[in-house]
Amino acid sequence: MILVIGGLASGKRDYVKKEFGFTDADMADAALDGRPVVYNLQNLVTASLSSVDGLLPALLLKKVVICNEVGSGVVPIDKTERGAREATGRLCVGLAEKAEKVIRICCGIPSVIKG
Amino acid sequence: MRTLVIGGAACGKSEYAEALAVRKPVPRYYVATMMPFDSEDVRRIEKHRAQRAEKGFHTMERYTDLRGLLLPERGTVLLECLGNLTANELFAENGAREDALGAVLRGVEALEVQCGDLVVVTNDVHSDGGAYEAETRRYIETLGNINRALAARFECVVELVCGIPLPVKGVLA
Repeated sequence: MILVIGGLASGKRDYVKKEFGFTDADMADAALDGRPVVYNLQNLVTASLSSVDGLLPALLLKKVVICNEVGSGVVPIDKTERGAREATGRLCVGLAEKAEKVIRICCGIPSVIKG
Repeated sequence: MRTLVIGGAACGKSEYAEALAVRKPVPRYYVATMMPFDSEDVRRIEKHRAQRAEKGFHTMERYTDLRGLLLPERGTVLLECLGNLTANELFAENGAREDALGAVLRGVEALEVQCGDLVVVTNDVHSDGGAYEAETRRYIETLGNINRALAARFECVVELVCGIPLPVKGVLA
């Protein structure tokens, strides 16, 4: 599994399409199904806050997992938002540990930070 | 050696900072700045305390006036974290208020004089836009100024991303 992270609209999906040859049809928006790429992982976490631990094994079976970096702001006042931010960060640490490669996108430009 | 560890929420910066400090000489002091407000805070503190268990840290709680903290011996200090310390100095009843920036910087200086190795954990609160009320903006700006002042003089600055340390300044120990 390759983990691709970066800010909102930083060019993560375009990079994955160009670099790995996937198309929109291969990409699942915050959903776990047969498609090889998942994006908007942060939304999937928010939707499954009570069972975040269960996401990791399923995500490791994907070719590419794309997630927004959501932790670098002021701590949200809303408890659910705060929990989702924390859970997304934690999950990404777990995914990065197992990923063969971690790529961070900034302004559309990739930096390989692992692998 | 002085190291600044920065990262967003749940990026693995605490674990990295602890692993770094554990490789430094004893005695090791963990200076905790988080003032518990509710049960969520208590749980978070307990989690961090458990992570430090048996790693040889003496925990010292210090919410404000870091400058007044006296270390019993010279050794290694892990200060966690500037995000909380800055909020305390800005907003707590006994905080330095207008002088928060100076209070935090003088406090870190006082630690530098008293220890051999210093690891400081800080928070990246700077990347989700600036549409905040004046008070929050003041917090973001004060913490940003503190981070920049320390990064300018520390030997090593490292950003944690998904648990991966990325060198920003200096060579990773």
